[in-house]
Amino acid sequence: MIDWLAPKYLGWLLSGFGVTVALATAASAAATLLGFMLAIARNSAHRGFARPAATFVALMRNTPLLVQLFFWYFGVAALLPPGAIQWLSQAHVWHVVFFDIRWPTLETLAGFIGLTIYTTAFIGEEIRAGLRGVPAGQTNAAAALGMRPLAIFRYVVLPQAVRIAMPPLFGQYMNVVKNSSLTMAIGLAELSYASRQVETETFRTFQAFGIATLLYIGAIAVIEALSMATTHRHAAAPSR
Amino acid sequence: MQNKNRPPRARLAVPGIAAALLSIAALVPLAAHADKLDDIKKAGVLRVATFDSNPPFGYVDAKSHKIVGLDVDYAKALADKLGVKLELQPTNPANRIPFLTSKKVDLVLANFTITDERAKQVDFSIPYFSSGQQFLAKKGTLSSPDQLSALRIGADKGTTNEITLREKFPKATIVAFDDTPFAFAALRTGTVQAITQDGPKLVGLLANVPDKQNYEIPAFTISNDYMGVGLPKGEPRLTAFVNDTLRDLEKDGTAANIYERWFGPKSAQPLPRLFKIGDKV
Repeated sequence: MIDWLAPKYLGWLLSGFGVTVALATAASAAATLLGFMLAIARNSAHRGFARPAATFVALMRNTPLLVQLFFWYFGVAALLPPGAIQWLSQAHVWHVVFFDIRWPTLETLAGFIGLTIYTTAFIGEEIRAGLRGVPAGQTNAAAALGMRPLAIFRYVVLPQAVRIAMPPLFGQYMNVVKNSSLTMAIGLAELSYASRQVETETFRTFQAFGIATLLYIGAIAVIEALSMATTHRHAAAPSR
Repeated sequence: MQNKNRPPRARLAVPGIAAALLSIAALVPLAAHADKLDDIKKAGVLRVATFDSNPPFGYVDAKSHKIVGLDVDYAKALADKLGVKLELQPTNPANRIPFLTSKKVDLVLANFTITDERAKQVDFSIPYFSSGQQFLAKKGTLSSPDQLSALRIGADKGTTNEITLREKFPKATIVAFDDTPFAFAALRTGTVQAITQDGPKLVGLLANVPDKQNYEIPAFTISNDYMGVGLPKGEPRLTAFVNDTLRDLEKDGTAANIYERWFGPKSAQPLPRLFKIGDKV
């Protein structure tokens, strides 16, 4: 009754999955880096850092990701000078010793920027919660030992904060994988986009969306396993 | 309760009666082999099924309250050629074939796309109208199909347009959007250089754009649907009459005039005429 999909269409789904994994990985990495900076800025005693950081978090968390993606793809593109869009949408290749670096498509670029900036707000808050979770006594004790503020942060506060923030961070990485499906609205050919395309051409709705669902579950399961592994390792370590 | 039960039972009987009538009707042509063309002439009336809500092909005119449109003009021309009165029967896509097979009408002129599947049940004339997959681009960026491979083209996700474009121009970069307005937004911001849709739909889209003078619909199609006159099966004289009349209408310029009236530069949906009767048989 249920026919299998032709290899060509499985190929489409797999290549879409590749884009999803690449996009989610890149956005997660970039958002983690930016999230650290955001958390530090929000924790800063200096208002010039803390205020804009808080505003950014509020702005990102209170608007839907889909609207933000439309903003980056349609809105910002309209603000750029006309030549810029043309340059950005052309294929550029840089030859670096062993391999070529290809310029991403405009959709990939907008999707990556949108997903990264949105995720940064959430990851930043998780890391801030981690930093807050380290008791003030730790900082005081380290200071009493004569450690400099930067060393206190690097060797005393940060390792403990990361340990606290780790489980919710993995939750955010799972969200990135799922949120990446929204980029199909701006024409980024990731897994959801590919499953829609396969469905259109084959009319095999169950197979197309079924395989896409399994691939998403697989990706989330890998993150889950990573989370379990790191949490267990930390649980084994002596607690504070 | 008794009363409530009665109407469904009565309804159930209808298909049975219809089936009986149909089987009788199927025998009639064998018994009295009258030619449809002669029948129409004798009756003095040409009965044509046409759309009443599909402008500009067939729709009710707000002023005259009569059905008008491109299809109606062709129906009128056929009736005039026969020297009989025209009687229009409003229809919808699902009823077009039943109207013909049940002999309620003599012809169907209702934006009727010729397909192999339909041709099993009814006969078709040569096409008198064609609607094709076309493109909308900023002025001066696109003039011929061989430029498509180098462009980024916006399409509607889940449409045959996207599939056709990918099959015919595998090198073109296709970006699929949820609907035509999104694709058009991408064209406006320059992230795609052209968008694709059926010609009449692009014309309708462009009609509402404030800076429409900056855009154009290049005069070529990459695939076509052909619309013909639907005829009852096995009426060679009637079919020949319709085909000959359509060719004559092209020859004497009437076909061009009809097109001009509904799709000319002064019409609500200007679209260049890329297809002439006789281009495809």
